[in-house]
Amino acid sequence: MAVPILKQGDVLIASMQEALTDRALIELRDRLSDQVGRFRARSVIVDVTALDVLDSFATRTIRGIAYTAKLRGARTVVVGIQPEVAFAMVELGLTFEGVETALDLEEGLALVRGGPAKGGRDGAR
Amino acid sequence: MADGKLAWMSRALPHELAVDEEEVARRKEFLEFRDEDIEQLKGLRELARKYADPVIEEFYRHILSFDETKAFFRDPKVLARVKQLQKDYFVRLTEGDYGAAYVANRLKIGAAHEHVNLEPKWYLGMYAFYLRLVARRLQEAFASEPSRAMTAFLSLMKLVFLDVGLAVDTYIHAREATMRKQQEAIRELSTPVLQIRERLLLLPIIGVIDTHRARLITDSLLRAIRANRAKVVVMDVTGVATIDSKVANHLIQTVTAAGLMGAKVIVTGLSSDVAQALVALGLDLAKLETVGDLQGGIEEAERLLGYEVVRTGAGAQPG
Amino acid sequence: MAPAETRVPIEHEGDIVTARQKGRELAAARGLSLTEQTLVATAISEVARNIVVYAQRGEVLLAPVDDGGRRGLMVVARDAGPGIPNPDLAMRDGYTTGNSLGMGLPGAKRLMDEFELSTAVGKGTTVTMKKWVR
Repeated sequence: MAVPILKQGDVLIASMQEALTDRALIELRDRLSDQVGRFRARSVIVDVTALDVLDSFATRTIRGIAYTAKLRGARTVVVGIQPEVAFAMVELGLTFEGVETALDLEEGLALVRGGPAKGGRDGAR
Repeated sequence: MADGKLAWMSRALPHELAVDEEEVARRKEFLEFRDEDIEQLKGLRELARKYADPVIEEFYRHILSFDETKAFFRDPKVLARVKQLQKDYFVRLTEGDYGAAYVANRLKIGAAHEHVNLEPKWYLGMYAFYLRLVARRLQEAFASEPSRAMTAFLSLMKLVFLDVGLAVDTYIHAREATMRKQQEAIRELSTPVLQIRERLLLLPIIGVIDTHRARLITDSLLRAIRANRAKVVVMDVTGVATIDSKVANHLIQTVTAAGLMGAKVIVTGLSSDVAQALVALGLDLAKLETVGDLQGGIEEAERLLGYEVVRTGAGAQPG
Repeated sequence: MAPAETRVPIEHEGDIVTARQKGRELAAARGLSLTEQTLVATAISEVARNIVVYAQRGEVLLAPVDDGGRRGLMVVARDAGPGIPNPDLAMRDGYTTGNSLGMGLPGAKRLMDEFELSTAVGKGTTVTMKKWVR
């Protein structure tokens, strides 16, 4: 069950559709790293909306995706962390230190297209 | 108290307090309450029947001579009833059966005392008086064999301490139940999450934050962030009197969790005292974005969201 | 009445997902809130991964528990693996010998209401955790 990676301009979007095994996560990390270089992507969006658990392994792997992408010149935004999942993560003592987050895919796209991480302009709509 | 409630308590209490057979046996072991003690007590049975009336009368004379304890027996009917119960107990002490039914009965009595708010100091004082009364009767009855009086008295004392232990447990249990109820009540009042502008939430925190409440606050904030698609949250802690390292860590967790959902939290209302305490505690507060007061926090939030607030004229009416 | 327990064998990493999904189902059936279900599922994920990483195989047992009017869910993760030589150290945040962040056990403990670790070198490890309905 490979995670599909969509390409939209210079943005790569990895949309996790179901609970992932450790192997699937690692496979995604490797593929994303490869594609960032190949497509010269400027941003990576990891959509975890469908995930009901982000344990220490998943968190660490996603953080790995972001750090790797950064070294390859792309910025990563993790979108769609559910309230319960965010709650469990902080209880576990996990964070996405240094990784940007946004509410959902729409917000994530606005963030990477709107420039700097501050990105509050769309609030005035 | 309704008899129905008492009956319920006598069934439920041993279970709630986890005073099962094994526990009672263990307590007796610790008190060194053994078969020979049971025999000693059984040997006092006739004496107990003979002295029940005068001992209980003297006991209540003492109780009624103090305003604090007298207050519980204003109603003569109540007095008559508890005197009878007390007599039953007095005799029961010498009946040799100190099993589950006896324990349940003691727990029930303890709960009843707690229920009428008879404080432990009076309860214990009454027990001490009671023991002295009995000691004197034993001394008289066994005038020719003082060591027998002593042995019997020591056996009785072990049993009475078992009883006192059970009663104290019911006091503690009831207090804890009250505390739990109060905590529930506080939780109900807990923490509203208010939307004050599109995508801007206000989270005023008032009162004491413990681990449980901190979790509730975080939980409801995270849901509100999703429901309102919030991007900025102003968390105002003006109403939190003291912030120790534990509370600070809770707040940091809340901020971190909101951040995971893509929402930025601005903390406002940290008093000078609190701020200095936090620095002294050496907490890593770099993660917290703070603005002095609530107004400043909301202005900063509006700026982040791209709002521009413009006065439309001197004294203009809103709307 | 002894309620039925569910047993999930843990033999490869795919079973971690099965175990936590089963755990979530049972937590929901017990009446735990959505947040609590997530905490339970995450804790199961951590202890099940410990089995895969350190013992290769083992099992996760899920069973309803009742205690004086409280209802809850019990999770037992056990294996006959190498055991943990220094359990105190393993319960300390940030400690690890394998390829996890060392968040496994202390993290799982924080997510649950009750947590008990019993381990013997060469014999295996059993983690017993409970979550109560509030």
